[in-house]
Amino acid sequence: MTLVRAKILIIEDDRKLSAALVSGVEAAGYEVIAAGSAEEGFFLAHHHQPDLLLLDLTLPQRNGLDILRQIRKEGLDVRVLILTSHNTVEDRVEGLRTGADDYLGKPFSFPELVARIDALLRRYQPVAENPVLSVGGLCIDRRARTASRNSTQLELTSREFDLLLYLAENRGRTVSREMLAKDVWRETSRFSPINNVIDVQVARLRRKIDDPFSVKLLQTIRGMGYSLREPGL
Amino acid sequence: MKLLLPTNLRTRLTLWYVGVLALLLLIYATLVFAFQYAVLTRQLFHDEVQDVVTVEGLLHFDSYGNLRLQQDYYSRPQSHLLIDRMMEVRDSSGSVLFRSPTLRGMSLDGPNRPGEGDTSFNERIVRLSDGSRVFLVSHLHTMQGHTLLIRLGYSLAPLRARMLQFLLLLVIAIPLALALAGLAGQMIALRALRPLRQMADAAEGITIHNLANRLEVNAADELGHIAKSFNHLLDRLEQAFAQLQRFTADAAHELRTPLASLRAVGEVALEEGRTSEDYRDALGSILEETARLNESIEGLLLLARAEATQPQNQTSSVCVTEVVDEVLQLLDVVIIERQIEVIKEREERARGVSVQADRSLLRNAIVNILHNALKFSPNKSKLCINYSRTENPNSRILIAIQDEGPGIAPGEHRRVFERFFTSGSLDTVSKSGSGLGLSIAKLIIDRIGGRIYFDEMIKGGAMCIIEIPLSNK
Repeated sequence: MTLVRAKILIIEDDRKLSAALVSGVEAAGYEVIAAGSAEEGFFLAHHHQPDLLLLDLTLPQRNGLDILRQIRKEGLDVRVLILTSHNTVEDRVEGLRTGADDYLGKPFSFPELVARIDALLRRYQPVAENPVLSVGGLCIDRRARTASRNSTQLELTSREFDLLLYLAENRGRTVSREMLAKDVWRETSRFSPINNVIDVQVARLRRKIDDPFSVKLLQTIRGMGYSLREPGL
Repeated sequence: MKLLLPTNLRTRLTLWYVGVLALLLLIYATLVFAFQYAVLTRQLFHDEVQDVVTVEGLLHFDSYGNLRLQQDYYSRPQSHLLIDRMMEVRDSSGSVLFRSPTLRGMSLDGPNRPGEGDTSFNERIVRLSDGSRVFLVSHLHTMQGHTLLIRLGYSLAPLRARMLQFLLLLVIAIPLALALAGLAGQMIALRALRPLRQMADAAEGITIHNLANRLEVNAADELGHIAKSFNHLLDRLEQAFAQLQRFTADAAHELRTPLASLRAVGEVALEEGRTSEDYRDALGSILEETARLNESIEGLLLLARAEATQPQNQTSSVCVTEVVDEVLQLLDVVIIERQIEVIKEREERARGVSVQADRSLLRNAIVNILHNALKFSPNKSKLCINYSRTENPNSRILIAIQDEGPGIAPGEHRRVFERFFTSGSLDTVSKSGSGLGLSIAKLIIDRIGGRIYFDEMIKGGAMCIIEIPLSNK
């Protein structure tokens, strides 16, 4: 779409995780620079002026929050997404207070990370909100809260509609169970039988939107989650 | 002043003891001294009265009209009546008619006092001109038409000497007694405090490695009681420590199992001759396993969080039925899918009652319990939720959740709440989760003062009963 790809700086000391992040984020269509230490990251942030900073909070020598504080003090125009392994409320609140735009607890699902990066960068570009979303013959009207496939009206419960809408908004992308739990069910606690509930709900939705039709849109990506996409795309 | 106070308990005890004893002895000595003095004075008075009566019989006027004391009754001069008594007889005008030689010419008190000796025997202490003090009695006596005033007295010097002697005795004896008592007190305190010292030494020697050591308890007294309390404290510590150790070992084991499967799947996938479909499959399996691992870690963190909550911490009044309804709504889709009929029964008294709890933790507990019941319920079965209220011994709400699943194997009714417990029964083995759900629920319910258990009498299904004390508001 845009000629200039958004630039993302990743500051992460774990080399394995850093390498995975770099290739994954690059595959999602961004230009990526990586730094293995706070000092290096700080230098690169000044030098390259990235649009988004992916910041690990637990860095050797210098805490991630320190860098964030300094960056905010200097007034660099950059979005910051922090990654933390101490995923406690206090930690998240402190991160946001210090000037982060969003946070993600480790271990996170990759689709969720990409979705958050997209969301943070999209804030720059207003998207024309079309009230009707369509994916391969499936039409979803957000305003009327109705959905149809090949002109057949689908009878959906409210939760099923929310789920379908969320999947459609992320069409072509994989949506993890954590994302669904957080964004559709609004469950804060991660240890709960919510995964079971999600699986059952998805199975029921699939019965309504896919079973009567030959082309299957709602796919299960084993180990990752679900994806709404036209096959072959 | 502070510097003078000994820090040593033994010395302090002894000082207190000696101080109190000294005070008591002083009071005692004063009382005895006063009593002794009073008794001796009384004795003197009685002797004097007796003497006056005797003297009255011995007085007579001779032919010249002079007053005489008949002195021919004694056999030896030492028995002389007036040998240590002082006597003076005056007539009503005050002129001295007789004066005993013991007075050596001194006057025994001054002129007649008005009314002196009128009524029985007047007593008083007077000072002679040579400075000595005399305790005397006066008495009026009528003889051969004359009214005589008889004054008879004893010198107080011997009495004073005796009292002084007594005082001297006390002054020597009391400090001696106190010194002895202090010494004895010091010894007694040393003996009494010896077990305390031994206990302190023993306590000093207890570390994490010999938590099983206990103090010797050999007395039924207060020190024995302290030792016992201390041993109980050690019991609890040892228990908690053992629990922690077991838990850490369990957790390591539980984390190792998914790791082993991760490794196995990865290694198998990397063998030659695999298609890309095989790789996808292996990666998917690995991701599923990481999700399981993550769930175990979240469970452990939740346990730690519930463990750290103190009863009065961050709690609010929570309506239990509301939380249960909310959880049922969350699990609604599972209930519909499995065609399970949920039957709610509620005693009128159990309506709208609230308990004191951390709402999110309580909700978590109920999610785990209800999901567990649903998990084991066969399709098209009934799940019954019954609310009742009990007042004995305090106001509690009872939530009974009964399913029609395979039930709990005999002897496992308690063990299902253990961390990482998975039943050996074949009916349930395929449905086991992380093995933390029920232990989390139990910990949370325990922390708000409640109780959770499976009814052992129920056949055909399982009945989980949650009891939570109602909040006072």
